Amino acid sequence: MANARRCSVDCLEFRRRLGAEPQGPDPAMRAHREACPTCAAAWEKAQHFEHALHGALDVALPEGLAERVLLAQATGVRRQHARRRHVALGLAASLLIVLGGGGIAWRQAQARALPTLAVAHMPEEIGSLQLTRPLAAAPVAAAFAARHAALRGPLPADTTYVHVCDVGPFHTVHLVNRPDGQPVVVLYVPARQTATRRTFQRDGWFGREVPLRHGTLVMLANHKDRGSFDAVEQAWRVAIDGLGERRISEL
Amino acid sequence: MKRLGPVFSQVNSRQRQFEALTRAHAGDLYRFAYWLCGQDALAQDLVQETLLRAWKNLDALREAEAARPWLLTILRREHARLHERRRLDTTELDEGLAEDAAWASPERHGDAAQLREAMHKLPHKYREPLLLQVLGGMSCEEIAAELGQQPGAVMTQLFRARQKLKAIVHGERPEVQRGLP
Repeated sequence: MANARRCSVDCLEFRRRLGAEPQGPDPAMRAHREACPTCAAAWEKAQHFEHALHGALDVALPEGLAERVLLAQATGVRRQHARRRHVALGLAASLLIVLGGGGIAWRQAQARALPTLAVAHMPEEIGSLQLTRPLAAAPVAAAFAARHAALRGPLPADTTYVHVCDVGPFHTVHLVNRPDGQPVVVLYVPARQTATRRTFQRDGWFGREVPLRHGTLVMLANHKDRGSFDAVEQAWRVAIDGLGERRISEL
Repeated sequence: MKRLGPVFSQVNSRQRQFEALTRAHAGDLYRFAYWLCGQDALAQDLVQETLLRAWKNLDALREAEAARPWLLTILRREHARLHERRRLDTTELDEGLAEDAAWASPERHGDAAQLREAMHKLPHKYREPLLLQVLGGMSCEEIAAELGQQPGAVMTQLFRARQKLKAIVHGERPEVQRGLP
């Protein structure tokens, strides 16, 4: 005990630590144990108890525990992969449906578009392209009046054909002009506003769609002559919108 | 041609790491879980939940040496979650300290059945740090960090845990150890 008292750990501290950490590696504890036979005996007893405690806690393991965990993990991973595959497939299917639906809607919209219907209308009156004698203003004005429209300017001098036609749902005045001797078909749709001017090409026909103040003008030709389109557009813009209004709109 | 090897090897490496982790620690985890909850089936469930959660967060494990305390932490949390749902019954004992002398004789050391029964009766607040020390191999400081307590408080709990185990095994009211021989 006299030697033990010279150690950094006294008997009380030794017992306290022994009760908490019987197998602790503290050198001070070892030094005290070697110096104090009473505490060394207590340490021996504590080691016996620890040995018994370890033995008691060492319960038998359930058979196949690790394998069951690994199986559960593998199954979970497979489910996760399957779920991801299903989500990817679902997204792909949704995308296809959207694209397919969009394509169908676009095709339907195109089929109902004025340029498409205008081209489709041409075979019905293809013979009009052969007419070369200029018309008087009266029948043309009458056709416009039938469509509740009026001419506000002079009739283009090279107008060789006029007819009131229904092109799909559109009520039009069907005209033919022959600038430079080449026929240009003109379809005027009163009270139908087009946002932008555009050109198109379909089934061998070249075309131009032009917004006017009170309607839409569609020109078709089976030859690509921009000069003809420009001349015809200019002439009908003056005839339909009028001289004064044209100048104002050009300002 | 582009090699696909690294992708597969990464996946396989992770899987292999998990398999090694499971095979190395499933037993320790089961024993810890069993003594924590006291039920075989529940302990197996806890081990499975713990390892599956570990699989999801395997990238967080940087060092192999850290695997055991990491897994024990996950298991404790899983058990705490379970404990919140199912209040497990524990038998609280009177405070007191047992005499050490009974463990001096070797014939008492093999009495594992009595000790096991005593472990089941040991209150949770003493049982958990004792299990972390004996089964988890943790020091007082590590247990304190794990439980969010002071090392001194953990030392006291460990000291009392052993005294209570001895008292339960003896089947008598423990005497307070007032002095030293």
